[in-house]
Formats: sequence, C-alpha cells, structure tokens
Amino acid sequence: MDAGVISIILFVLMLGLLASGIWVAPALLAVGFVAIQFFSTVPAGITLAGTVWDASWNWALTALPLFVWMGEILFRTRLSSDMFNGLSPWLARLPGGLLHVNIVGCGVMAAVAGSSAVTCATVGRMSIPELKKRGYDERLSIGTLAGSGTLGLLIPPSIMLIVYGVIAQQSISRMFIAGVIPGIMIIGIFMAYVAIRALLNPELAPPEPERLSFWQKVKASRLLFPVVLLIFCVIGSIYGGFATPTEAATIGVLGALALAWWSKSLTWASFMESLMGAVRTSCMIAFILAGAAFLSIAMGFTGVPRVLAGYVDAWNLSPAMLLVLLTLLYIFLGCFLDGVSMMVLTAAVVLPMVENAGIDLIWFGIFTVIVVEMAQITPPVGFNLFVLQGMTGRDILQVTKASVPFFFLMLLGILIIGIFPELVTWPVEYMVRKS
Amino acid sequence: MAVRRLLDGLYLGSGYLSALFLVAIALTIVAQIVGRFFGVAVDSTESAGFCLAASTFLGLAYTFRHDGHIRVTLLVRLASGPLGKLTELWAVGFCAAGMAYMAYWAGDQVYFSFTFGEKSKGLLAIPLWIPQSAMALGTGILTIALVDEFISILLGRTPSYVENSTALFQGEND
Repeated sequence: MDAGVISIILFVLMLGLLASGIWVAPALLAVGFVAIQFFSTVPAGITLAGTVWDASWNWALTALPLFVWMGEILFRTRLSSDMFNGLSPWLARLPGGLLHVNIVGCGVMAAVAGSSAVTCATVGRMSIPELKKRGYDERLSIGTLAGSGTLGLLIPPSIMLIVYGVIAQQSISRMFIAGVIPGIMIIGIFMAYVAIRALLNPELAPPEPERLSFWQKVKASRLLFPVVLLIFCVIGSIYGGFATPTEAATIGVLGALALAWWSKSLTWASFMESLMGAVRTSCMIAFILAGAAFLSIAMGFTGVPRVLAGYVDAWNLSPAMLLVLLTLLYIFLGCFLDGVSMMVLTAAVVLPMVENAGIDLIWFGIFTVIVVEMAQITPPVGFNLFVLQGMTGRDILQVTKASVPFFFLMLLGILIIGIFPELVTWPVEYMVRKS
Repeated sequence: MAVRRLLDGLYLGSGYLSALFLVAIALTIVAQIVGRFFGVAVDSTESAGFCLAASTFLGLAYTFRHDGHIRVTLLVRLASGPLGKLTELWAVGFCAAGMAYMAYWAGDQVYFSFTFGEKSKGLLAIPLWIPQSAMALGTGILTIALVDEFISILLGRTPSYVENSTALFQGEND
C-alpha cells in the first residue's frame, strides 16, 4: 500500500484513540501494533515485547526518576513558601519591582518542580495575593506567571530535555548544557520587558518603601541559596565532566534530602509522599517513552517516515520554512496535548525529516522545548492558562490577554536562537572540546 | 469484601515495590560513585537500568489507580450520564484488551529467555528472564487493574482514577 495512505490511516487512528479518552501510552502501543500487524511482514507480538523491554532499561533514562524525586523532595520543604520573601529583597529595587519575583521565582522553582503547571501554581499561590496587596498591575502579574511558569520545561535539570534526549538519541549531558543559555536568555527577555513596561508607566509597579541591609537580605533567603547552590552543583558536575546525568541526579537526591532534613521538613510521611509522587510521574513518562519506542520502530518497518522525509525534499522546503511549519503544528497540538505527549507523538515522523533537512538535533531539541512551552500558554486552551484561571478567579479571556505578550516574547526567543544557533551549540562544542 | 481488599493490596503493594526499585537505582549509583572514589570499578549501567524497568512496570497499576497516566480529556469531559459511562467503559476496556495482549507477549519473552538461558551482556551477566519478569508481572497487574475498573464502572461506581485523582485543581479532570 502507498505510504501516504498508510500514514493517513495511522494518523486518523491515533487521533480517534486519543480523542476517545484512551491513555496516551496504550494509544501509542495500539497504533504501533496496527502499523506492524497490517502494514509490515514483521511478527507484532514478539517485536512489541522486545522493543518495549529494550526501551525500558535504557541507561540514559535512569536519570529521570531521580531528578523527579529530587524535585518532589525539595517541593515538600519550606522552599515554596520562602520563595517570595527570599527573593523580594534582592529584586525590589529593579524597575518593575516585585514582578521580577514571579520571573526569577519561576526560574528557580522550575528547576525544582520540572512541571510548568506546578511551577506556576506554587509561585503564584504566594505572589498573587502579595502583589495585589501592594498595588501591582494584575495583568502584568498574571502574565509574568503564565510566561515564566513554562520555564520549567527548559531550565536544567529539565525532565523535558531528558525525554527529548532519549527519543532523539542525543546525550542528556549535552542537552542540559545546550539548554542553559536559552533558558537564561528567556528569563532576561521577560525581565527586560517588565522593566521597560514599568519605566514607561510607573503606575504598573509601585516603588518599594522597605529597604533591608545586606545581612537581613541574606537571612530572608537562607533556604533559597542552598537550593540554588544544589542546582548549580548538579549542572556543574555534568558540565565539568565529573558526573553523568544519572550520577548528578543521585547527588541531587542526596542533597535534597540533606536540605529537607536541615530545614526540619523531613519526616517519614513527607519522605514517602515524595517517593510515591516520583513513582507516579516517572512511571507515567517511562511508559509513554516505551510506547513511543515501539511506535517509532513500527513506523520504521512501514517505511512511512522515509517517504514523508522525501516529501520535504520534493517540496523544496528550506530548513527555515520547515521550522515555521513545525512551530505551527506544535502550537496546534498544544491546544489539547501536554508537552511530553506532543514531543513523543511527533518524534517518529518529525525527527527523520529534521535530520534530512540538515538541522542539528541538539539545537532542534531546544527549539522544540521552547515551542512546547509556548504551546502551554496558547490561547485559549494552553494548560497554564487554566491553572491561572483557577487561582486568580479571572475568566479565561482576561488570563489569555495577560499572557499574549509573553507568548510573543517566547517567539522572539525562538527567532534569536534561530538567527544565532551558536547560543545553543557553542557551549556544547566547548564542553566536548575541553574533555 | 475480601476480594476488594486483596486487589487494593496488590496495587498498593506493587506500587511500594516500584518505589523500592526507584530507591535501588539511587543506591546502585551511590555504589558506583563510592567505588570510583576508592578505585574499584563498579559498573551500575546495567543494574540501574534493570531497577528502572522494574520500577516502571511494577508502578503501572498503582499509577493508573491514582490518575498518574495522562490522556486527552477535552472530549471525554463533555460526555456525561450514560454516554460518559460508555466512554469510560470503551477506554478502560480497550486498554484492558491491549494490556492483556502485551502481558501475554511479555510472558512469552520471559519463557523464551528462560528456556534459551539468555544472559545480560554486561559484567553482571544475570539471566535475562529475571529482570524481564518485572515487565510481565507489571503489565499483568495493570491488566487486572483495568478489568477490575471495567467491572466497577459497569456496576456504577466512580472510576478509581477519578476518585483518587491528585490533580492540582479540581475541574481539570472532570
């Protein structure tokens, strides 16, 4: 049968299964099964068991449950409640004042929580009432939260980058290193935007009367520093070549346990809660990845990805045009799918196309993650928008309006890494050359 | 309701086993780091990988019962009443059939590795059927959980994954 027809059948099947409420991982497995059973000569059952088994004990993936667990432990310390008080003395003097707490707070929390909805909710729960009380512009405060909450997908140790690394068979260490500069850059763009808005219209952010001495500031953020230090150690040990991502994650878990113990929030109950939370998250992601591995192998047997990649050649799509089309596709998918599923679902077809077009797969990973982030705040159904709607009591339209500028700022971020791909690739090359 | 208690114990027990294997990943890595520090080569690549697989598969049913697995609820939550019940029956029933198939072939794989005496390729060289049986067991327990759920919904109970949902905000899942 023609590969074009096969791909349409499989696409419709996938859509139907997902829309009718089938869980993502079984849906991937089922589509893979149909592809192999009906459109290839390979025995389906044995291939299914073999592929899923091989994918499930992948060494690169062992970092995932550990990073998830580290986040779960830190999440249950007083960190989240201390975030606002810890950051505000340092950032209050910038133009835009405490609005920057939202951005930087999300940046730190993102590295810990790894999920943008959780990041958004945790930081927002503390900062929304505080900012409102002090007379900050509500739209900017919602917008900064919506935008910065999505940083969780990019700031290492990011779960998303591990997932991408596993499906695209790229080194997780390199993915982490590649994510650092774009992550900092997007935080910078957000902060610059808030500062400019506040300078143009001082009413948006009232001046902070309170001034603390240096030591008072340090005291206010005594839990924040160790956490930031821990994250630096984890990333640093990977960057310096001292540790593999899995080893760094183990150090992260031990450090997080030590911090929780030191801040007196480590109890048997909180330990078990963090562990079972990690089981649920990592089991869900690993199951999806196993399903994706099978789907990708099955698709390979049908020859569909090769043919589709050939179409891209035949249409004479330039790499830039291909990226624009993929951006549109991801934004569309983001209306009803979460980030991990989006990446995993498209990988089998998209990655061969991208590779064929001569695009660097590490760069493409960072690009995809930023686009997926953007999709989380795509009006009207981005996931973070619902979270904020629930927290602020504003209707979805107002939340959407507040988030739109940040959607475009992220688009700007993508443009910048598109024009200067060295921002992503250079640190990786440097690390490789050094070792 | 002895059967109910037994089944719930099965899901929770395999969830705890899954957690134990998650801790075991960290422990084998600690052994590797400590070993390197003292100049003893400990290769945890294989053992950590096997622990990961065991943790994933044994956690499947527990995660399912706690609404850990994700799905698209955009259309599903529009269906209510008898239609909603039918949708849940379809989703759970479909997955039960799929997982039964997978559990069968995972079992076949264990049997194959056992009879042919296949060993892992690394330094450990342990018989492959041992780690592979976690996959057969885990998918088997998930199949049981799905069939259990199917019967519960048929009897008009609220699905466990709705009742035990740990979602951030109510309304996300209904």
